[in-house]
Amino acid sequence: MKKMLAITTLFFVMFFLTTNVGLTQGTSKAAKEPYVIGGIFPLTGGLSWLGVYKKKGADLKVELINKAGGVNGHPLELISYDDQSSPEQAAKVAQRLISKDKAIAIIGTASVPVSGAVASLGNKYKIPVIIGSGYSVDPQKDKFIFNSAHKTDFACARPFQYFKSKGITKVALLMPIGSLGELGSNLARKYAPAYGITIIGEEKFDIKAPDVTSQLAKLRTLNPQAIFSFCTGEPAALVARNMSQMNMNIPLLVSHGNANPGFLKLVSNLTVPVIVPAGRAAAPEEVPDNDPCKKVVVEFSKAHMQKYGEPANYYSAEMVDAIDLIAAALKTTGSSDGEKLREAIEKTKGFVGMQGVYNFSPTDHHGTVLDDMMVLGIKDGKWKVLLK
Amino acid sequence: MEKLRKVWWLIPVVLIILYPVTIGGKSAYWSGILVFAGIYVILAVGLDLLMGFTGQISVGHAAFFAVGAYTSAVLTVKYGFSPLLAMFAGMFLSGTLAWVIGRPVLALKEYYLAMATLAFNEIIITLIVGFENITGGASGLRDIPPFGIFGLVLDNPLHYYYFVWAVVLMIIASSVLIIRSPFGRTLVAIHSDELAASTFGVDCAKYKTRVFVLANVFASIAGSLFAHYMGFIAPDDFGVSTSVNILVMLFLGGIGTIYGPILGAIFLKLLPEITYLVQDYELLLNGVILIIVLVFMPKGIYGIFMTLRNKAFARAGK
Amino acid sequence: MGDISHLVQFFFSGLTTGSIYALIAVSLVIVYKVSQLICFSQGEFFIFGALIMVTLTSKGIPMPLAFVLSILIAMAIGALIQQVLIRPIQGSSIGALIVMTIAISLALRGLAMLIWGRESHILRPFTQGSPLQIFGATLQLQVFWIVGITAVILLLIWLFFEKTSLGIAMRACAENPLGASLMGISVQKTALFAWAWGSGIGALAGIAVAPLMFMQYTSGVMPMVKGFIAMSIGGLSSIVGSVIAGLLLGIIESYTIGVISSKFSDTIVFALLMVVLIARPNGLFSKS
Repeated sequence: MKKMLAITTLFFVMFFLTTNVGLTQGTSKAAKEPYVIGGIFPLTGGLSWLGVYKKKGADLKVELINKAGGVNGHPLELISYDDQSSPEQAAKVAQRLISKDKAIAIIGTASVPVSGAVASLGNKYKIPVIIGSGYSVDPQKDKFIFNSAHKTDFACARPFQYFKSKGITKVALLMPIGSLGELGSNLARKYAPAYGITIIGEEKFDIKAPDVTSQLAKLRTLNPQAIFSFCTGEPAALVARNMSQMNMNIPLLVSHGNANPGFLKLVSNLTVPVIVPAGRAAAPEEVPDNDPCKKVVVEFSKAHMQKYGEPANYYSAEMVDAIDLIAAALKTTGSSDGEKLREAIEKTKGFVGMQGVYNFSPTDHHGTVLDDMMVLGIKDGKWKVLLK
Repeated sequence: MEKLRKVWWLIPVVLIILYPVTIGGKSAYWSGILVFAGIYVILAVGLDLLMGFTGQISVGHAAFFAVGAYTSAVLTVKYGFSPLLAMFAGMFLSGTLAWVIGRPVLALKEYYLAMATLAFNEIIITLIVGFENITGGASGLRDIPPFGIFGLVLDNPLHYYYFVWAVVLMIIASSVLIIRSPFGRTLVAIHSDELAASTFGVDCAKYKTRVFVLANVFASIAGSLFAHYMGFIAPDDFGVSTSVNILVMLFLGGIGTIYGPILGAIFLKLLPEITYLVQDYELLLNGVILIIVLVFMPKGIYGIFMTLRNKAFARAGK
Repeated sequence: MGDISHLVQFFFSGLTTGSIYALIAVSLVIVYKVSQLICFSQGEFFIFGALIMVTLTSKGIPMPLAFVLSILIAMAIGALIQQVLIRPIQGSSIGALIVMTIAISLALRGLAMLIWGRESHILRPFTQGSPLQIFGATLQLQVFWIVGITAVILLLIWLFFEKTSLGIAMRACAENPLGASLMGISVQKTALFAWAWGSGIGALAGIAVAPLMFMQYTSGVMPMVKGFIAMSIGGLSSIVGSVIAGLLLGIIESYTIGVISSKFSDTIVFALLMVVLIARPNGLFSKS
């Protein structure tokens, strides 16, 4: 009996110890206290391939800022955690960043549900969160949430502009079951009339399915001129591959999340013309010289190539801008207070980032505009700008 | 000595009550972790009644976790229900649903039962995703208000911790009482030999269905607590992988003991707090730690306690 | 709609996915038949086979050799796992063993992530060539490989279990371990054999299927779940049953998507599964 008591007590003692003896991460011996920025990325789970892109971009940007002397003399410290592509886990690590690591701002979250979970905490604890996903920020309710991804609307409207210029009027939807599919479908129907496009049909597919030829066959009977499939990564590549195999060589519009080298590798040998909306980061050489963002884009791309041996992509650009915006807000306020930072970010105007020139306001937490997106096609295994 | 045996359970209860305000330092972070742990304890205990004591495998326990969470969320967000009322609505819905599908499904054995429960879990998820107008679909449901009871809004993680663990303790206590009751003994009899039990006149189907309903009502309560804590829910957290996690908690802790699954749930929810330090290796490490526990403690963590206790008794000559 | 090409496409799509499910189900059933264990790690052998093959071919090793090597390596891993992790806890309850296979699958997945990273990998189809076009519908050539390999495995398994003394002994072992051991048949060897061959066939399935999909460390989960579903429909011990069930599953899925609703096809398929399970509790093709 005594032994059992001992064991029970030991169990609880160990429990207390692990919760309180500092297993802290990343102690810095800088002269001034670092500003801690929290990063929440999917490093395991279905979205892990893009979580890695985001983390790499964020790590490099923080490195560059610190090399240049930090912000207000303080170094930046990026503490990143894995959200395992799960909202519950994201909520846990966000709480950890806020309460334990004392993060002054949070960046990351790559999917709508995960962004939602973290947004909930950001609003509650009054910590600014700059996300990069399709989560639609409601500035009224999400006062502390900003989005450095282009407004998802643009990822639909801009390519539709391109379709209009090519005389494409009949578009069929092949949407993944999931948040992206829901977004894509709503946006397509919202913007189609403005560009003279008719949505002639819609089918859904499971992103884990190994084959979508059934859905494609069904859509083919409606004689579409293009297919819009708002999905990212493997599912998008699968749709492209199946379409090629079926000799359905009409334009396939996918999400802007595909503006990265990994996706290019998956689809470069296919006959289907794949259309990808993107930011400037995907094709730095194509940005006009008089574009205010050109310098930032080209410089970071070079640094990214130097450190990682691969070009910067949409996701790196999101994170770079997020960190830059926070750094700028810190410079303006001189303090790390959440409310002040939030206000500073919301008042940001004419900020030159990689994704565009940001103009935030109490009604706009995205900051970028339609023309900040390009439309890319693929030729010879490389990106080709179709509309800039 | 005998007196101590009767009231030993007071020690963990006192620890649970005192921890946050003493050593825990009123940390919102640890309160939060323990809220999640508590919610999963409820899930694990419910499943243990069904699997450990009655021997009915379920790989779909998260289904009713989802039903409770979404009922609470939808009713409070879209129809302005009070959280308490919404939780009761969830319990009622879960209970009814469990009763309806329980009978036919529980007639199945082992592997086939597992697959049927898995299928049901998937059906619930696909329905949640499919009816996005009501549930928010795959993008999730936001702005769930914090739990409020008798005018008191439980916004602070620390307050919510006490509320959740009060519920957890009530559920543990009920489960222990159930196990010690004639009902509980019948369940165990059904587990050992269903055929024999029925020849003794036991209506096995009735008992199995009842414990199934009970376990799933517990899961529903856990779901409601979860929704109000997160403030935002999405179908991702209620799928088969969550059901499998709960299953693992049972075996890790020691199935069929009530206390085992409690330890298993707490262990599994606290484990990431250590393994996150080795990010890239976290997945591998979680698997390895689980393997080590399973190989060296086949009766689960609770089994270790029992073995030590028995040794202690043997030595004391009792 | 005058032409029926889309209806034929539904069939071909179903055949494609169905053949994947069937082959995986076969690997699951073989492990179960011989060791009475439902192995949750099969999904990981599936991807290990494919990813090892990707690595070997990228190093210039010719496909046939890489094929054989990948399977052998997977078998070695399976055998190692059985000896080190399964054998010590052999006496535990079925539940504990199953949870062990779950833990193993987590560890293997973590290992796969460390070795092959988080990106998707492509495996070339076994024969290059444009897909078959019949009645205006497309069927990829790789599907013939998958169906062919499945048929060959079925034949070999049948020969083994019916005609060889070792095979007959293993069947006896599975049906009555005590009796078999009294007759001198080693239960230990049988279990080892089951794991080695089970992982080998799992890896083979992964290699055969990989050209149709993309492979990364999380790709094993979905095929395995579908394999389990096929196994439940076909009957746990019926190898032929699971093949037919796998094909049926693919085809029913495909027609549900095409003809009824692509939004609720999963709901319908899972509901059908529940109905089948409740109506025929031992699978469609079992003897009872």
